[in-house]
Amino acid sequence: MSPLLTITNLNKIYHRHQPDEVIALRDISLKITAGEVVALTGPSGSGKTTLLSLLGCMSKPTSGSIQLRGRLVSKLPERFLAQIRRTSFGFVFQQYNLLRDVSVLENVMLPLYPSNQSFRVMKKTAGAVLERFELQKMMRKKVKQLSGGEQQRVAIARALVANPDIIIADEPTAHLDSNLSEILLGILANLNTEGKTIIIATHDPAIYQSPLIQRRVSLRHGEIVEDKNQ
Amino acid sequence: MILHPGILSLLSGSLLTLLVMLIASGLGIRILLSWDASSSSEGQIILERKTWLVSTLVNYALGFQIFSAFLFIATAEDIHQLFVGAMCATGSLNANLVGWLVLLIKGILLFAAALWVILNRLDQRTEDCPLVRQKYFALLLLTPLVALDGYLQWRYFRGLQPEIITSCCGSLFSADGESVVSELAGMPARQAMLLFFSMTGTHLIVLSACLRFKATILRPLLFMTAVLMLFISLGAIISFISLYIYQMPSHHCPFDMLQSHYGYVGYPIYAALFIATLYGMLPGICQPLRQHESIEKEVDRIERNWLWFSLWATLIFLLISCWQMVFGSFTLLGY
Amino acid sequence: MRRQLKILEYTLSSLIRRKAKNFSLIVVYAFTIATLGSVLFLTHALKEEATGSLTEAPALTVQRISAGRHDLIPTHYTTTIKHLPGVKSVTPRVWGYYYDSLIKANLTLIGSNNPPAELLLLDGNLPENPQECAIGKGVADAFGPAIGDNLVLEDNEQKSNRFKITGIFQAESSLLTNDLVILPETTLRTFFSMDPEMATDLVVEVYNPREIKTLAKKIKYLLPDTRPISRDEILHTYDTLFNWRSGMMLAVAIAALISFCILAWDKATGISATEKQEIGILKALGWETADVLTAKFWEGLVLSLTSFLLGILAAWIHVFVFAAPALVPLLKGWSVLFPKFQLTPAIDFYQLFVLAFLTIGPYLVCTIIPSWKTAVTDPEQIMRG
Repeated sequence: MSPLLTITNLNKIYHRHQPDEVIALRDISLKITAGEVVALTGPSGSGKTTLLSLLGCMSKPTSGSIQLRGRLVSKLPERFLAQIRRTSFGFVFQQYNLLRDVSVLENVMLPLYPSNQSFRVMKKTAGAVLERFELQKMMRKKVKQLSGGEQQRVAIARALVANPDIIIADEPTAHLDSNLSEILLGILANLNTEGKTIIIATHDPAIYQSPLIQRRVSLRHGEIVEDKNQ
Repeated sequence: MILHPGILSLLSGSLLTLLVMLIASGLGIRILLSWDASSSSEGQIILERKTWLVSTLVNYALGFQIFSAFLFIATAEDIHQLFVGAMCATGSLNANLVGWLVLLIKGILLFAAALWVILNRLDQRTEDCPLVRQKYFALLLLTPLVALDGYLQWRYFRGLQPEIITSCCGSLFSADGESVVSELAGMPARQAMLLFFSMTGTHLIVLSACLRFKATILRPLLFMTAVLMLFISLGAIISFISLYIYQMPSHHCPFDMLQSHYGYVGYPIYAALFIATLYGMLPGICQPLRQHESIEKEVDRIERNWLWFSLWATLIFLLISCWQMVFGSFTLLGY
Repeated sequence: MRRQLKILEYTLSSLIRRKAKNFSLIVVYAFTIATLGSVLFLTHALKEEATGSLTEAPALTVQRISAGRHDLIPTHYTTTIKHLPGVKSVTPRVWGYYYDSLIKANLTLIGSNNPPAELLLLDGNLPENPQECAIGKGVADAFGPAIGDNLVLEDNEQKSNRFKITGIFQAESSLLTNDLVILPETTLRTFFSMDPEMATDLVVEVYNPREIKTLAKKIKYLLPDTRPISRDEILHTYDTLFNWRSGMMLAVAIAALISFCILAWDKATGISATEKQEIGILKALGWETADVLTAKFWEGLVLSLTSFLLGILAAWIHVFVFAAPALVPLLKGWSVLFPKFQLTPAIDFYQLFVLAFLTIGPYLVCTIIPSWKTAVTDPEQIMRG
């Protein structure tokens, strides 16, 4: 089976050739197959988020290559990266990153604006995703009126609205109690059975020790120290 | 020099456009000097972002140029009262030597800027942006043209003396003058019509052939027919189309049709002619650019749209300009 | 295209969300446009009024010049001019100015044989008997009489003359008829103690307007002490005058525009943390730089057009409803009898075009660089919170 994401000898250096130079990632090589659930673990500052943003086409590596379904994406101009982000990736951010003054429905529709879908179709798509997470009743409400758990579900709904293959989640349980974390794991498990590839950066043992996680990649000082299936 | 609100806003608009273009060129030079598509250094990423600033600046400048071209004609129209003997914009433009030159430069600038914007779009759609160097080099040529336009415009307005007695359309476009323009006006209507219709007909045929066949020879041919059609159509507007629009046998003015009195019919006429020519030229211009694989892919994807644009615009141009000829009560032939 | 419209929709909703922030910008922007717009509307309306009343003016007026000054013209010049080929008619006119110390204003007194042709809107009728007169609206308002009352004017010998008012001009535009008093010609001659052989000037009508220049030359040749003035010359003098005035005022008002641009620049640069985060989120979710630039373009355009509409509405009300109280002292000026001055609303697209070009352009340019800075927000920063 050909890998979905292949990264080879990846390096990411911030502020290169400047006094505040930071080497965030060093010579990372990794292959992720479609349908895998991967946890990236490691202490903060180990490069989890940097690796996640490179995998999610949010930034470009200083050297090395990233291939998505065999297509070399690390050298693409930014506009193509944006295109890939909205069609292939769904992001669940640590801070949810929802627009607080905007309605739930509009928040979920955000990734669909730069497409050729009509407004009506956009609304229908977003409505369907919201229904799946039992949020349809509050879709006119503003995000700031929702509870933490509801916001988390809105964030997941938004990540799924463009029907991406890969879900990228950065510390998704950081602001949730254990009860809500359980629910989240349930949702992720469901998504995985639908065939979605899931990459989670976390240092929450409740996540990386759960049976859902098939593979755990540990990072330290920007290098992979352990990569094992579990 | 006349202190007139329209002149004031044209001059300040030109200054603003020039400023915008100078910023764009400054960025363009930096991009030309240090562009390295293979690098993924932070410097290259910043340059890549700067290209967006340059495109936005040039897009705005082009938008300005379009409005300023119309404002220029409208202003010439508005100030004709200041010249004894001038009866429309033509009279104002005749008031000193630079008037027509300004109009010509504005026309060239419109085409050049529009082509730049379209080719830039095309290049930005590719993954490897092969045209970066050519684009920014062309930008460095575009800026002096904007400066020239601003300077000549200033010269024209500064040189205007309200006391000058000028000839108006009546005498400039009357058949006994000696300039090229009056040659056009003096051309027998039947011949002019024959030339005009055979030219637009040829353009339409070549267009359809381009839509049907992929032959490389057709594109440069289309470029030629488009350019020829532009000039012949402008001639035809002066020679006989204007007569039908005004329903007067000796009124050859190409600007009066932009006025409310004639239902602003000139705007769709000139806009359609501009679009028909511009999009007719594009496939030919892109022919040599096809050596870049990525550009070729994009051109293949979008060329049909261009051809259709040109086709529709030509038809609309023909329809509006010849409407009166077919349905109007005015008859020119048969005298 | 659809994508553009959707981004416009997003922009509109985000503008409404931030109405407090945009409100002050719109107010200042609209105020700037209203200032510039008032200048343009007022001068344009004044020009229209003046040229409108001049279209009915005689094609050619012949004055006599003596010692470089306008002098009374002998009526026998009429015969000389009448014999020139192409001349339709020659009429001597009697008119003059009268300063009334009571209301401290200049009146224009015209003999009734040749009242200006545009005075069609008349309440009552023109004077027929020696002791009758018709007056302009401004005169009626200043003196306070109505039809049937008397108007008292003092002649050169300080003798009071009573004239019964038979009519009042209610012309739609009152710029030229405001200070008018029409008297029977013989009465006026006596009033001005003018020789019956003399007239103020001669009015020449011609068959073919194209011959005016030639005729003027011939008149000047045959009667070297005269000065023929054609209507076109007066028209373009007016035009130059009004253009110059509005140009001057615009040049001053551009200062307001520049200060507005500084404000706009400042507003556009001082982007709030929430907005920066919003753009970051959009970029992270797959919006391209071009999409954000489009959104910013729409934002600028929507703000501009809203302010533009508000601004020209304000200018229109200022000029045509309140008669431009802020500008009139600077622009008008020759006669004092202007208090009840009402302009006919006249707006043409050209004026709006000029105004839009002058105001929207600079604003959009001011926002290009700040918009771009926002648009290239790095999506990666969103990952880091």
